[in-house]
Amino acid sequence: MHVLLVEDDKQVGAFILAELGVAGHSCVHALDGEAGRQAALAAMFDVMVIDRMMPRMDGMTLIKHLREGGDHTPVLVLSALGDVDDRVQGLHCGADDYLVKPFAMAELLARLHVLHRRAAAPGADTQTKLAVEDLSMDLLRQHVQRQNTTINLQPREYKLLEYLMRHAGQVVTRTMLLEHVWGYHFDPQTNVIDVHVSRLRQKIDKDFDYTLLATVRGAGYRLGPELAG
Amino acid sequence: MAQATGSVLNWQAERNTVQIREVVNSLTFRYIVKYVTVLSATVFLLQAVFYLFFSYTSFVELGDSVVDELETLQLVYRGQGLAGVDQYIADHIASQSVHRFYYLVTDKSGTKVSGDLPVTPRYREFDDGWLGFEMALQNWGKSIDVDFLARPMDIGDGYRAMVARDYADIVERAELVFRTLVRVMIATLILGIIGGFFSASRALVQVEQLNREISRIVRGGPGQRLQVEGDRGYIRALATIMNQMLEQMETLMQGVRRVSDNIAHDLRTPLSRMRNNLSQLRDRLGQVEGEQLERIIEDCDDLLSSFNALLRISALESGSGLAGGQDVELGALLHDVVELYEPLAHEREIDLLLSAPQPQVCRGEADLLFQMFANILDNAIKYTPSRGQIRVQLRTGAPGAGHSVLIADSGPGIPLGERKNVFRRFYRVEASRGEHPGHGLGLSLVQAIAQYHYGTVELASNNPGLQVWVHLP
Repeated sequence: MHVLLVEDDKQVGAFILAELGVAGHSCVHALDGEAGRQAALAAMFDVMVIDRMMPRMDGMTLIKHLREGGDHTPVLVLSALGDVDDRVQGLHCGADDYLVKPFAMAELLARLHVLHRRAAAPGADTQTKLAVEDLSMDLLRQHVQRQNTTINLQPREYKLLEYLMRHAGQVVTRTMLLEHVWGYHFDPQTNVIDVHVSRLRQKIDKDFDYTLLATVRGAGYRLGPELAG
Repeated sequence: MAQATGSVLNWQAERNTVQIREVVNSLTFRYIVKYVTVLSATVFLLQAVFYLFFSYTSFVELGDSVVDELETLQLVYRGQGLAGVDQYIADHIASQSVHRFYYLVTDKSGTKVSGDLPVTPRYREFDDGWLGFEMALQNWGKSIDVDFLARPMDIGDGYRAMVARDYADIVERAELVFRTLVRVMIATLILGIIGGFFSASRALVQVEQLNREISRIVRGGPGQRLQVEGDRGYIRALATIMNQMLEQMETLMQGVRRVSDNIAHDLRTPLSRMRNNLSQLRDRLGQVEGEQLERIIEDCDDLLSSFNALLRISALESGSGLAGGQDVELGALLHDVVELYEPLAHEREIDLLLSAPQPQVCRGEADLLFQMFANILDNAIKYTPSRGQIRVQLRTGAPGAGHSVLIADSGPGIPLGERKNVFRRFYRVEASRGEHPGHGLGLSLVQAIAQYHYGTVELASNNPGLQVWVHLP
C-alpha cells in the first residue's frame, strides 16, 4: 500500500511513518496542506491520511481541492476534533473515513486496509455471494453455510458475519464493527462486542476442524487467513 | 376518529386556558387591574361628592321656595287680610298640581282658620325652624305616605302660617342621578378591564415574540442574535442588552472551548504517542515482558478513555446544547441498545426486558443518545447480581409532553444521600470502589448528554435496586 500522510505534527508523523514501514507499506509524509496537495499531484497513492488542522491549507480544503481535481483516492481524516458535527462535516467534505486523535495505530492500519480494499475492488458491494474458505453466505437468500452444514444466525449475527466476510483477511476493529454493524458511533464501557463475536464464533467455528474467526491482539478480529499487502 | 377530534378539542381548550392564564398572570394585566381599582375609587368619590352636592342644592332650592311662598302669604295678608289669604290658598289648592304647596293658617289660639293641612301632624323639628312630617296623600286613587318639609311663620296679628312642600320628586330625581352614577361607574370598570385585557395581551404578544426569539437562540447556539426590528420601546432596549449578554457568553464559551482543545492537544496526544510507542516495543519483546507491557498499555488505554470521556462531557456542557439534530425513533434506538447488551446480560443470567409499545420520535443525536442509554444499561448490568432483572421501558406520555425512559435494575441501588453525587465527575459510590471497574464518568456523561438534549436524568429507588429515569423533550 502506498500511503500519502499529510500531518503537521512531526512526532505523530514520524510514528505513523515508522509503523506503516513495519507493516510493510511505503509512505510519503507532507508537513502541511500545500505540500500535501503538491505530493498528491506528483504521484498516485492507494490511500491518504490527512490531518484536519494544519498550516497553509487545512485538511478539509485540501480534500475539496483533490476531489475537484478529479482525484478519488480514498482519504482518511485524522483530527483532534471529535464532535459528531465535526465528523459529519468531515465526511461531507469528501473524506471516506474519520479517525479522532489520539488513536491506536492498529485502528488506523485496519481502517486504511479497508479503504484500500474497497477502492481496489469497486464491484464488491454488488456481490450476491460471499465466501471465505469453506464458509459461504448467500446474500439474496440470507443463507449461511459452512462445509455442508447450514448455520442459523440471528439478524445481528448475520450482519456481523456479513461485515467480517466482506473484509475477510483484514483486521476489523471493535469501533469499526460498532459503526458498521450497529450503526452507532459510541464508546462502550465494557467489551460488549466481544460477547457478540464469541456467540458468532460458537456458531461458525465450534463444530469444525479449524477456526476462521481469529482475535488479533490489541486490534480486533480477522476472518480467514491474513491477506498480504 | 371522534376520540381523536375530542382530544384535539380538549387540547385546544387547554391551550386557551393556558393562554388566558398567561394573560391574567402578566405584569401588564396586573398593572391594569390596579389602575382600574384606583380609577373606580376616584370615580366613585367624585360621583359621591356630585350626588351630595346635587341633593343639597335641591333641598336648599326647596327651602327657598317655601320661604318665598311664606313671604308671599305675608304680603297677601298685609294687603288683603285673612280673606285674601284664604282666597290665595284656595286658588293654589285647586291647581291640582302633583307637587304643590300645602298650607295651614292658625289664629292665636292655634285654631285652624285656613289651609288644607291638618292642625297637628306629628312634626319632627329640624334646625333653623324647619319641620318635617309624613302624611298620606291620595295619588291616582292610591294612598301614599309622602315626606314633607314645612316652615311656620307669623304673617301678622297673631296669625301663623305654615307652608309645606313634599320632596318625593327631589328624592326621585336624586335616585335617578344615583342610578346613573352607578351605571357610569360599572361601565368605567368594564371598559377599563376590557381595555386592560387587550393592552395586556398586546404586550404579551411582544413578550411571546421575544420568547420565541430567545428559544431560537437557545436551540441555535450563542452565535445568533436577537432581531432588533422597529421601535418597540422597552422590548427593543431589552433585546439590545440581551444581545450584548450573548456576545459576552460567546466569548466566555470560546474561552472554555479553547482550554479543552488545549487539553486535547497537549495531554492526549503525548499520551497516545506513548501508548503507540509501547505497543511498538511490545512487538519486539519476548512473551513474559510482552505481557507486562500489555498491562501498561491497557492502563494507558483506560487513562485515554477517561480523558476522552472527560473531554466529551466538557464539550457537551460548554456547548450551547443541541442545535438541529435528527429525528430519532427512541423505541428503535432502545431496541438496538438492548440488543447490543443482551448477550452480556444473558452471560450473567440477567433477564433484560424491553417494553417500547409505541414508536416515539424525538429530536437528537442518535450516537449520543445511544451512548447515554448504553452507559446506563452497562451500569445496570454491572451492578445487578446474577439471576437479577433489568427492565427498560419507553413510557407513553401525553402527546407533546416529552418522552420518558425508565431503566430499572434489581441491584443494590444507590443510597438516597449519594444520588446527587453520582453525577459528579470521578465520583464513585464507596461500596463499589475496587469491586467494579470504572472511572466514575459514566453517569456524568449520561447527565451531560441528557442536558445537551434539554432533558433530565433522575434516580429513584426500585425497592430493591435503582431506577434511572431519562426525560427528553
